[in-house]
Amino acid sequence: MASPLLQVLLDGLLAGGTYALMAAGMALILGVVKVINLSHGAFFTLGAYVAYALAARGVESPIAAAPLAAVIAFAFGVFLGKSFVNPVRSHPFALTVGTLAFALLFEQAAQMVWGPHPLSIDAGAPWIGPGGLVVRRWGVIAFFSSAALLGGLKWLLSARPGLSLRLIAEDEEIAGSLGMDVETIRYLTFGGACAMAAAAGALLSPSGAVTPTMGRAPLLLSLVVVIVAGMDSVAAIFLLSIGLGILGNACAWFLSPQWSYVALLAAVCLLLSARPAGIVALAGRRD
Amino acid sequence: MRNAAPFRAPKVSLRGGTPPARSTWRGGWLAAGIGLLLFFPLSSPDAFFLDVFTTGFLLAAFAASWDVVGGVSGQTTLGHALPFGTAAYACALLTSFAGWPLPLAVGAAVLLAAAVGAGIGTLSAPLAGPFVALLTLALGEIAHEVAVGHTFFSGPGGYAWGGEGGIPVALPWRDASPFSSYYAALGFLCLASFGMLRFLRSEAGLILRAVAGSPITAQASGVPIARFKRLAFAVGSAFAGAAGAGFALHVGRATATDLSLELSFQAATFAAVGGRGTIVGPVVAALVLHLLFQGLSLPPSVRVLLYALTLLLVLRFFPGGVVGTARDLASRLGGKEGGRSRRIRGRYRNGEGAP
Amino acid sequence: MTVDSGTLLRLPRILIRSAALFLSLSSPAFFAAPCVAAGSSDTLKIGVLAPLSGPYAAGGTSFAQAATLAVEQANAEGGVSGQRVTIVVGDTQGRVDVAKSEALRLVSREKVSALVGAYLSEETVGVMEVAAAERMVLIVPVAATAEITDKVRQEYDRYRYVFRVGYSLPQWAERIAAFLSDRNVARYAFVGAGIRWNLELGETLERIAAPRGITPAYTAFYSPGNPAFDTVAVAAAAASPDIVILADPGRNSVSFLKRLRETAPTLPALSIGGALGDARLAASVPLSAPVYVQAAAWRGVSPAATAYVELYEHRYGAPPVGYSDTLPFDAVTVLVAAWRKAGSVESAVVVPVLERGAFPGVAGTYRFDAAHQALWGTGPGALQGTFVRWERGGARIVFPPR
Repeated sequence: MASPLLQVLLDGLLAGGTYALMAAGMALILGVVKVINLSHGAFFTLGAYVAYALAARGVESPIAAAPLAAVIAFAFGVFLGKSFVNPVRSHPFALTVGTLAFALLFEQAAQMVWGPHPLSIDAGAPWIGPGGLVVRRWGVIAFFSSAALLGGLKWLLSARPGLSLRLIAEDEEIAGSLGMDVETIRYLTFGGACAMAAAAGALLSPSGAVTPTMGRAPLLLSLVVVIVAGMDSVAAIFLLSIGLGILGNACAWFLSPQWSYVALLAAVCLLLSARPAGIVALAGRRD
Repeated sequence: MRNAAPFRAPKVSLRGGTPPARSTWRGGWLAAGIGLLLFFPLSSPDAFFLDVFTTGFLLAAFAASWDVVGGVSGQTTLGHALPFGTAAYACALLTSFAGWPLPLAVGAAVLLAAAVGAGIGTLSAPLAGPFVALLTLALGEIAHEVAVGHTFFSGPGGYAWGGEGGIPVALPWRDASPFSSYYAALGFLCLASFGMLRFLRSEAGLILRAVAGSPITAQASGVPIARFKRLAFAVGSAFAGAAGAGFALHVGRATATDLSLELSFQAATFAAVGGRGTIVGPVVAALVLHLLFQGLSLPPSVRVLLYALTLLLVLRFFPGGVVGTARDLASRLGGKEGGRSRRIRGRYRNGEGAP
Repeated sequence: MTVDSGTLLRLPRILIRSAALFLSLSSPAFFAAPCVAAGSSDTLKIGVLAPLSGPYAAGGTSFAQAATLAVEQANAEGGVSGQRVTIVVGDTQGRVDVAKSEALRLVSREKVSALVGAYLSEETVGVMEVAAAERMVLIVPVAATAEITDKVRQEYDRYRYVFRVGYSLPQWAERIAAFLSDRNVARYAFVGAGIRWNLELGETLERIAAPRGITPAYTAFYSPGNPAFDTVAVAAAAASPDIVILADPGRNSVSFLKRLRETAPTLPALSIGGALGDARLAASVPLSAPVYVQAAAWRGVSPAATAYVELYEHRYGAPPVGYSDTLPFDAVTVLVAAWRKAGSVESAVVVPVLERGAFPGVAGTYRFDAAHQALWGTGPGALQGTFVRWERGGARIVFPPR
């Protein structure tokens, strides 16, 4: 059997890479729409339920579920964006609480549709890698899908459409005066970011149980990643997300599994105390 | 040419130096509200309803204490359950383990909550906006995890206390009468709200609002920002601690849910619905929402759905909060400080650039 | 703006004052509206307290479903002295304050004759206070903390209305130790969330298993907020135990088992009950090594158990998992039986009947000891519980041996 430590670190790497997709979505929303999207976990859960629904009909493949989940989440996200996010735009605090309310709504709706009991998708047999290292099949596929999607996002952001996003994130008034349809871009971005969260949820669904409140922990993790890594660089988000996955598992291994979460949170607090302006762009905002 | 979203200033009115007309208007509402609440138990409702009101009063005080930190001082905190739960646990531990008399324990609990708040304020002083939110959230979660994971064994009986099951509070009474709980909580709410409003009208409170409105200007004027941020947290946490101690006395137990993220979110929610920065807004929102959704016996799924929908609708159409919007309308009707000058002041208020 | 604020404000003040007066005079009508007719003479009400929303909604929903089934069965048998029995459900939301509040509602508004609940330990202790103050019988189906029975023992006069039909932690550990002996386990791993309940169970099991020569090879608890399944699964497998005991009854046990199966496909696992009693969940985990589940009762243990399982499956579409549904069913059944035997619902009459009597339920015959704890164990008349093993076609009972 392979070195347990190596196994644990590999697991952290794979999971972290997939969570990066969700974190990138949250970063987009925080940068372009300027709100902490507390319903991001709900879209993650939506993706997992879509994967379950497909598995229940015989399509046991999160890869197939991810695009479908993304489309459904995009529709919901655009609806939420147009009906709530855009009109309430000038009150970021009310907007944040509103996303929280939407998360609550979704959790209850999921409970009513699929029941409160945990559901599960068969993950299939894992691959055995070099040295007896167990490589989770869906873990690897999710990791590379996430990396591919993030690569696409990075390309998008550096190309023409991405420029308008960056400009809106920088200064909305100038973007508007340049003729950009800021409202539309905003709700499309919101929808797109929610689609990313749902894709992450679908990709990670075989790893555990699917329940209505499963999105709460990933939400916090992606929030931590985004605020610490900043919103400027997709690569930074990806790397930090992987780092967080590895760090979490390393903490659990070397310290104690019971307090790994506390150690992670304490590390975040220390980091915030040491670098109060965060790592990147938020420092430039008026506050 | 299509412009960006119109830069609408948040519709919250300042209260320092109000003209007499507006204070009597407000006084009228408050008097009516308090009168209603004072006489309500005399119409002989059952013990259940009195209990719901009691919890509602305590939550309202908690929501108002959030507003001191997050509304008036502009420090959006997502970990306000930390001082609340700290005081609850302090009450429980001091009375059950250390055998302290209850009033002493409550006093110590409130002081401890204030100290915790000062600590949070110190840590978060150099931060701004979402970083404060993240820091306070992380601190609250750390406390929650510690409370859930830490167990200790009691003396008699040998069963364990702590953890998710919580710690009992050694109360001098067995079963509190619902009437006395109700009036005690109502009295506490009135006192606490009064105290918070007085604090806000004091010099420290006005400086806090200035700091929240434009930290750069305040700093340029020589205000020690870090000290005032710490003060805001300490005062807000002290009142939260008082509410937490009251809650522990009412329930008879301090549990890990007193430190939970859900409770922190609840305070922020009441403030958003009521009107951030108004103190009265969160109180009213907390009372109304709690009474409606706990008091009417709705089936659970309907209750949660309706609650979420209500929040969404209210925030969609009253993004500045219900009381905040009402105040704005009132001041527009009142006319003295309406119009352009208020809007300009409002623009820099509360650091609204930050989520 | 040229509106005269003075005159304008006087009018609303008058309106406000009269509205306040009107509202306070009419508030009893407004708030008393949803009240149900107080104790109509042909219906007996049982108050059921369980979390139906929030993170524990899964257990609470099964709880309420099983309780509904139990009263339907009671009515099919003719009710209690000719009266129908119904349940009124209060959602505790997993919080003590709400649990107490709902208990008050059930007692003071709905005028229930007894209470069954709650689900979590802290909820139950809160509800105990209400039951003691109102002198109302409370049957505890699930919460396993010793605090409940200790309070009954120490302050009998106040808490004598409280009875627990579920197993206590020492009884639970005793059953597990007996099973481990039967499977010839020498070293076990014990994992679960880092909550008091699991920590206590771990300690109790270690203490009880030691005289049988069974020792823990690895014990770990993961954070409930952000569980480190990977690390614990890998470490547990690396310690080479004979079996891994999963102490979490909920969704964590499924996630953990999946991890474990990936790392150590041939390591047997025992779930102490709950989510892994669900066939669909068990089917999503590879069966490369045995997966055992502990339950209060299972199909095939007795005719009553089989009848119950089939009734539940017919009504709700899936068989019960054997813990958060079976025990509440038995709680209501025992209560109704006690009512019939006593010929009354008055607590003063029912309590001695419960203390002295024997009441058949799905899991066996319920008798209570001096601390009002049901007798689960290995003795002749005791309730035994069941251990099943998941196989391709379903679950097979492996312990106690038939």
